[in-house]
Amino acid sequence: MSNILTISKREITRLRSRFKGRSRLFVIGIFAVAVMLSFVIYHQDPVISKSIYNIGVSSNGPAIVDERFNIVPLDPVSGLVELGNKEIDLYIHGDQVISRNDDRSRYAAGALNQYLEKQELIRISHEYDIDQAFPLRIEIHHLAKDSETEQKSTDNQPSLSEILEPADEPTDSSSPFLVVTPGPEPPIITAPISPQTEPPEPIPNAPTPEVAPSIIPTESLSDSAVRERLEDFKNDNGRPEFKAEFAADDEIIIPSLLKPPIPVSQVMLAFFYVVPIFFVSIFFTSSFMEEKTNRKLIILMSAPITPFQIIVGKILPYVVYSILAIIIITLILGGNVFLALAIFIPIMLFIFSIYLMVALLYRTFKDQTFFSMMAVWIVTAFLVAPAMFTGVNDLSYISPLTLAVLMYRGESFDLTQYLLSTIPMYLAFIVTMFVATRIFNEEYLMGFRPLYRKLSEAIYLVMDKAHLNLSVLSMSLFLIPIAFMVQSASLVLAYNLSTNLSTITTLGIIFVICIITEEIVKSVAIIVLLQNRIITSLTSVIKLSFMAGLGFLIGEKLLLFLALRVMSESIFTEALFSSGVFLIFPLLMHFVTTSIVCLITARFGLRFYPLAILAGSVVHTLYNLYIIREAIF
Amino acid sequence: MNAFFVLLRKELKSIRKEKTIVFAILIQLFIASFSSMMLAGMMSFYDPTTISDNSPINLKVGVVGHTSSPIVHFIERENSLTVVRFGDIDSAQDAFQSSKIDVVMSIPQANAGIVDMDLFLPESDTQSTIALMALNDPLKEAENYLRRMNGIEMNYTDIEGKSHTSYEFLYSIIIPLLMFFPALIAGSIVIDTISEELEHKTLDTLWAAPVSLHQIFSSKIFAAILTAFVQCVLWIILLQWNAFPVENFLNVLALSVIIAATLACIAALIGLYFKDRERAQFVYSIALLLTAGLSYLLDPSPFNLITRLAMGNQNVGILEVSFYLIPFTIIGMVFVLIAKKLTSAKA
Repeated sequence: MSNILTISKREITRLRSRFKGRSRLFVIGIFAVAVMLSFVIYHQDPVISKSIYNIGVSSNGPAIVDERFNIVPLDPVSGLVELGNKEIDLYIHGDQVISRNDDRSRYAAGALNQYLEKQELIRISHEYDIDQAFPLRIEIHHLAKDSETEQKSTDNQPSLSEILEPADEPTDSSSPFLVVTPGPEPPIITAPISPQTEPPEPIPNAPTPEVAPSIIPTESLSDSAVRERLEDFKNDNGRPEFKAEFAADDEIIIPSLLKPPIPVSQVMLAFFYVVPIFFVSIFFTSSFMEEKTNRKLIILMSAPITPFQIIVGKILPYVVYSILAIIIITLILGGNVFLALAIFIPIMLFIFSIYLMVALLYRTFKDQTFFSMMAVWIVTAFLVAPAMFTGVNDLSYISPLTLAVLMYRGESFDLTQYLLSTIPMYLAFIVTMFVATRIFNEEYLMGFRPLYRKLSEAIYLVMDKAHLNLSVLSMSLFLIPIAFMVQSASLVLAYNLSTNLSTITTLGIIFVICIITEEIVKSVAIIVLLQNRIITSLTSVIKLSFMAGLGFLIGEKLLLFLALRVMSESIFTEALFSSGVFLIFPLLMHFVTTSIVCLITARFGLRFYPLAILAGSVVHTLYNLYIIREAIF
Repeated sequence: MNAFFVLLRKELKSIRKEKTIVFAILIQLFIASFSSMMLAGMMSFYDPTTISDNSPINLKVGVVGHTSSPIVHFIERENSLTVVRFGDIDSAQDAFQSSKIDVVMSIPQANAGIVDMDLFLPESDTQSTIALMALNDPLKEAENYLRRMNGIEMNYTDIEGKSHTSYEFLYSIIIPLLMFFPALIAGSIVIDTISEELEHKTLDTLWAAPVSLHQIFSSKIFAAILTAFVQCVLWIILLQWNAFPVENFLNVLALSVIIAATLACIAALIGLYFKDRERAQFVYSIALLLTAGLSYLLDPSPFNLITRLAMGNQNVGILEVSFYLIPFTIIGMVFVLIAKKLTSAKA
């Protein structure tokens, strides 16, 4: 422990020495200006989409105050000419909106529609009593189904009739207000009875009348809810709200004032928490790279300290800085510090594991920059993309950011959901640390070789050659978090393609990527052993293929167990995790496919490895199709 | 000039050798996937009708109470919604519990023009969100109908437009991000190549050759700009292929290259000032934030300009793009003037 702390102390001293004197002042200065400027701009309501639409408006048209629209006053003749010449996107003549028959004009019409709808709602809220202007109020109740209530042991759930007020009791007697003809056709008003059918003439810009002449002045129970929603609606300046609330239990919603659960909070959370961690990890990786290139690491390695102590010692200060950043951000945002740490520590460890591997694998700064950039995007995409579907799709639980969104919404999540989101990240860190300590030697760190050679060397160094069976089994098992993340990322890719492709083709693409990933993960250790001539006989290949299949099956079933507790079982999850009713069949499948891949490679050489993966994948695909045959046919 | 091209070729070769361009394309491919998913997500949230475009929805709505209410008719008109009428609330509850229906609506008679109804949604976040979003459009129509009955006419309800959210998101967020991302990388590359030369002391050797300091640095900056240019071209082709047309692509390209050149010069100054990669990259990252903030004060800002150019807005063109040559020229001149001084100064 003292060795670790000594190295950590040295790391802090080194970092401090980097930023002293003029440098420190310069950095603090530029940082302060950047923060202040961002703050000022944020509070000036930044509009990126400024003047993106050109709108021609006649003299009797509406007043439009929205930065997106560039308003050009035009008489009808010039308006129509300019619309035809595509100089403007829309022309408004009085209350008539004229568009062109092309996409750009239609999008402009859509944007204008949204703007004018809001203005109209504000207008009617000023001109009329809210009872007239917002006549439809909906009280939301969430109801557990029988199966769910059994699971959650909520025996005393009230029945619907108990929830409903006596006044709400349905009676289909003649309406005091609307008489409509039932049937599939839109309603036809035959005889409005109430005196409210003759409304007062609206007075432009008049304040809300104290009592609308035609409305009985009774304050409805839902009126306060309408006023509240209306206030929120009027105050909505387009700036993203941090807490994206949606309809809660017993909340009264007004359809025209209902704000969609804009997923911007997910992106903001990633920005608030993940970006500072990335900043800190840049220092870690730069320090590591620098000491690697100037051979200071080699000097450290000659001291009586283990590689583990060196790595932990170097990483520790940056981990502490990141944890401090998480705590400070949570306190500023008013979140639960304990929960935030539980959610963001695995993310932080995952980011550090990526940066550690980048620093170990590469020797040039350019490589490091590119891989770091790629890591930033991949990790951000992996965290943000599933979290966009928080509360919409259970698949969102593959990202820990989903848990953070729930935390800030004041909603709960259970241990299984937490484990599904974070276990791959914890495991990825543990595996990375293990790999890092095994490959931490001068020859590996200083060697210039292509990436695939470096990776295969790393796998070779990680394995215990005296216990090959256990090594291959563990390798297959511990690579599962990486396979899981690749498979999850393949979902993102497939989603991208799905706009142009059919669902079956999209599913097919996910299948293929998942299967190929699995086949690589299972066979890679054996291939490295073959390449290094540690094993030569076909019997050994078959024996190790069984161990690889077994290792993968154990990990896969553990993950499946977690996944199915969180996600509803579907054709997709079944295929993704190769769920079989009996363990023996999937084990056989993994054994057979891994054997196919390894035997072909052993027989024909490493050049045929891609072909061998393809052959193994075909068999794997046939098995998966057999499993889900009932769902497909 | 020959020496410049020799150095430029050397820089480009070193970038190609490290397969960095391949990685850059991979990064961009991933952003594409990411953006598309976000697009679908945002579309679903903003425009409930797109939920059924992205995933088929067939929601069974149980109705009790005033089952001939106009609200029911508006729900029935939606293809993705099926109405099931019930005589009493208990039978609706039974149907809900046995999953024969997805939601229950209890609609009372209108009271003084107001309908205070109850909506029972499944407890699952997933199902209730989708149900509510799918029901929102017909409910808004019903609300407008009730307003009409109260003598209130909403204007402009008949504008036929397309959902603009995804369009604006694509052109004002994604395309600027994709076009300026290569510029950010260009700056990083310049810092890497300069700090590598300085830290490995290879610059002294290079200086001994018959090349000027400016030729050395400008070849590095040019190599980075060329890399950014190639990436932007690839991006425009990819977007076009995915049916996301980039209008005014020459102006879009020109602006991206000018921004890349400006950032590369800023990065070179930072690299020469700090002389080590660690500090230079960190300060460059903060400087990016600062530059982005400052550029926002301009009208049009680079983000806004590239958005409008790519959308085909006729109010912007080569004149607005040329304006950005001014900051580039200033920074470029500063670099030319002080590069030598910075190189010989101590870190």
